[in-house]
Amino acid sequence: MKMCRFGFLLPLALAASLSAQLLDPAWLLKPPADTWPTFNGDYTGRRYSSLKQIDQSNVKQLGLAWTMRIRPGQTPGAITGGEATEEQFKQGTSAANDWGSSIKSSALVLNGVMYFTTPDNTWAVDARTGHELWHYFWRTKGGIHIGNRGVGIYGNWLYFETPDNYLVSLDARTGKERWHKEIADVKQEYFSTPAPVIVGNHVLVGTGGDSLDVPGFLEARDPETGDVQWRWWTEPTKKGDPGSETWPDQYAMRHGGGMTWMPGTYDPDLHLYYIGTGNPNPVLAGQSRKGDDLWTCSIVAINVDTGKLAWWFQASPHDTHDWDAVQTPVLIDGTWEGKPRKMLAQASRNGYFFVLDRATGEHLLTKPFIETLNWSLGVDKRGEPIPNPAKEASIDGVLVSPATGGATNWPAPSFDPDTNLFYVSSSQSFSEFYLTDTDPHPEGWGAAERNAGGLGNTLRAIDYRTGKLVWRHDYPGGGGFSGILTTAGNLLFTGDGARHLIAFDPTNGKIVWHAGLGSNISNGPQTYMLGGKQYLLVGAGDSLYAFTLSE
Amino acid sequence: MLRIANVMCVAAALAALSTTLLAQNAAPPAAPTNVPPTPSAPRTDKKPDVDMVESGQKIFQTNCSFCHGANAKGGESGPDLLRSVIVLDDEAGNKIGVVIHEGRPDKGMPKFPLTDEQIADISAFLHDRIHAAAERGSYQILNIVTGDAAKGEAYFKGSGGCTSCHSVTGDLAHIGSKMDPVSVQQHIVMPREFRWGPRAASAPPPSKRQTVTVTVTQPNGEISSGKLTQFDDFTVALITDEGEYRSFTRNGDTPKVEVHDPLKAHSDMLLKYTDAVIHNLTAYLVSVK
Repeated sequence: MKMCRFGFLLPLALAASLSAQLLDPAWLLKPPADTWPTFNGDYTGRRYSSLKQIDQSNVKQLGLAWTMRIRPGQTPGAITGGEATEEQFKQGTSAANDWGSSIKSSALVLNGVMYFTTPDNTWAVDARTGHELWHYFWRTKGGIHIGNRGVGIYGNWLYFETPDNYLVSLDARTGKERWHKEIADVKQEYFSTPAPVIVGNHVLVGTGGDSLDVPGFLEARDPETGDVQWRWWTEPTKKGDPGSETWPDQYAMRHGGGMTWMPGTYDPDLHLYYIGTGNPNPVLAGQSRKGDDLWTCSIVAINVDTGKLAWWFQASPHDTHDWDAVQTPVLIDGTWEGKPRKMLAQASRNGYFFVLDRATGEHLLTKPFIETLNWSLGVDKRGEPIPNPAKEASIDGVLVSPATGGATNWPAPSFDPDTNLFYVSSSQSFSEFYLTDTDPHPEGWGAAERNAGGLGNTLRAIDYRTGKLVWRHDYPGGGGFSGILTTAGNLLFTGDGARHLIAFDPTNGKIVWHAGLGSNISNGPQTYMLGGKQYLLVGAGDSLYAFTLSE
Repeated sequence: MLRIANVMCVAAALAALSTTLLAQNAAPPAAPTNVPPTPSAPRTDKKPDVDMVESGQKIFQTNCSFCHGANAKGGESGPDLLRSVIVLDDEAGNKIGVVIHEGRPDKGMPKFPLTDEQIADISAFLHDRIHAAAERGSYQILNIVTGDAAKGEAYFKGSGGCTSCHSVTGDLAHIGSKMDPVSVQQHIVMPREFRWGPRAASAPPPSKRQTVTVTVTQPNGEISSGKLTQFDDFTVALITDEGEYRSFTRNGDTPKVEVHDPLKAHSDMLLKYTDAVIHNLTAYLVSVK
């Protein structure tokens, strides 16, 4: 451990001589290609890297540079924090252990060090070697420990969220805690998974949880103090406010869900932060919330300085199938009908692919991206799908595709500006939905789901200008639901359901390389440059794997 | 084309095996075999004591239900208590006790002279109800037998094509006596899921009829066949009837792989079923006592 810590000081000292702090937030507007300083690598959410040392001609020479297996929990040497009493910690930990510990975060890579998380745990690791520099452990009070997407970095400070809903700030150099602030109440079944996104002097923080019926929100917090700068509720707060006409009453509206559990994207010219919101509550029983239920299951543009809603587009009006629209709103600068346009595209959990003008929210394209989708009556004039009431949960069951897990889910899609294609991992799944709570005011989920299998999982390449499928890869084993990375080396990296990391030709879907790992990929592949070498990094279960070209 | 058809077929089969409920923001599906059913979210608060819940329910019915409703979800004049932040924050009556003892004169709620023990019991009752709402794995499916049995029988014996594999005097004899209606319906729509689903404990052992088999033909003509255990872009593996494990590296169409999924007809039906057909088939098979 001592050796590690000493080794860590040296690059830091060099970095310090270049700038007083690790990361000036203004620098995030144009981060160098050799780093990975935000959840998606940059603000666009494209998960495209201009690095091309690794390319199609040499990809077969990729070899393992290092692997690192995490040791989560209160390990010897871990720095600990948290608000839990002994009894809360005991109970919270026992529930947490049921989830296992899987790396669903992106690692931020900066100055040769990477920072990543699992629920309650944050690590700093030498990006060259995989050696642990420090490990911070949060003693939990509870909350659902399903995953954590990672840290945000501002100056020398890291920020991450915990399952019991604290925003914790650490000193990136030492892992020592600066402060923690409670952002939501775990007893109301909130639990927090997003990676905070830093924009200017705002730490953008969301939350999750739909077991009971509570409202969602997005917050900007002060990076120095952790205090709230603004809060945007995902539903109108009172009758008469814009959007309240889409709810039957104030009570339904203030118990309406709409969680903000994924990091968003940002356009610095427009000062707009784009984020998808989660499903309404009660989740599968819609009888107490008739109407569109704004702004649940929506793509929204929020002014990052004021927290005011600039525009919105609802991916699933009156959702009754748990189809959070939180998938990355990917920013595309391209041409639409021959003219340059600032756009945004989302492959949404409900099975639809959307393209919008991101300055105005104007709808440009709506198209299903799975063939099995069976819940919609078509598309309205706003470009929003029209839900078929006959496919809402019924007492005797209805067969719906996709299942609640969705046509896709949180694993990152990618847009490759070289091919002009949008890539997404998809699932052609079915479930029966049974209404179990027939009360006029159901609670929680209000219905039961039983999986009915499906037609497997598919990697898809979509032309965003037409919504047409350009190529597909059907995974023989049915798995394949991982995040995606594209690079200027004319490569697409993702994972299948059989523990492989696979490189595809992004132009035609041909497999050009693969490696077997210890688990399925549990985050999205990333890349960075260090000491003249391009690294390909991926998290699979409890381990990180870094690949470089063999010499 | 044939190969693609096979691939799709087994994709469905193995996808079924790998089913992992992608709950609110769940993980990608894990390895395609031996994945246990996903439980509903493990919870961190303690489940209330059964005796206290029962006692609390009685005290609640007598004192509170008039305004807050028999199920505590709110009534004529009192709010829903299951979504009350005071109740959610309460531990053994430490928060609701104050409200019960002092009342809410401004909102028309009188004081109630209940003992601390009685209040703790009410707290247990309310928290039990909150558990019931929040634990979606525990929801009870209601009466699903709403279909027309005669139409179900006509479909079974006619256009459904069910009799090409099944018989109500053979494999499905007495199915309506052996299984509850939900299990019957799940056998119709999702026979493979049933094995791995939340009711696996009460399910019959996996039938040989559901086993996916494979025949692998190598370039030299050597043929291996058996139960399919792994099939991805790079490997195919099987266990022969003699119990021997064999795996093969795949390189495009070599070796030749032919997969047989006996449940393919059920997967294909997912695209064709109407909900009415499912309900009618359920009503018919439930009547086969």
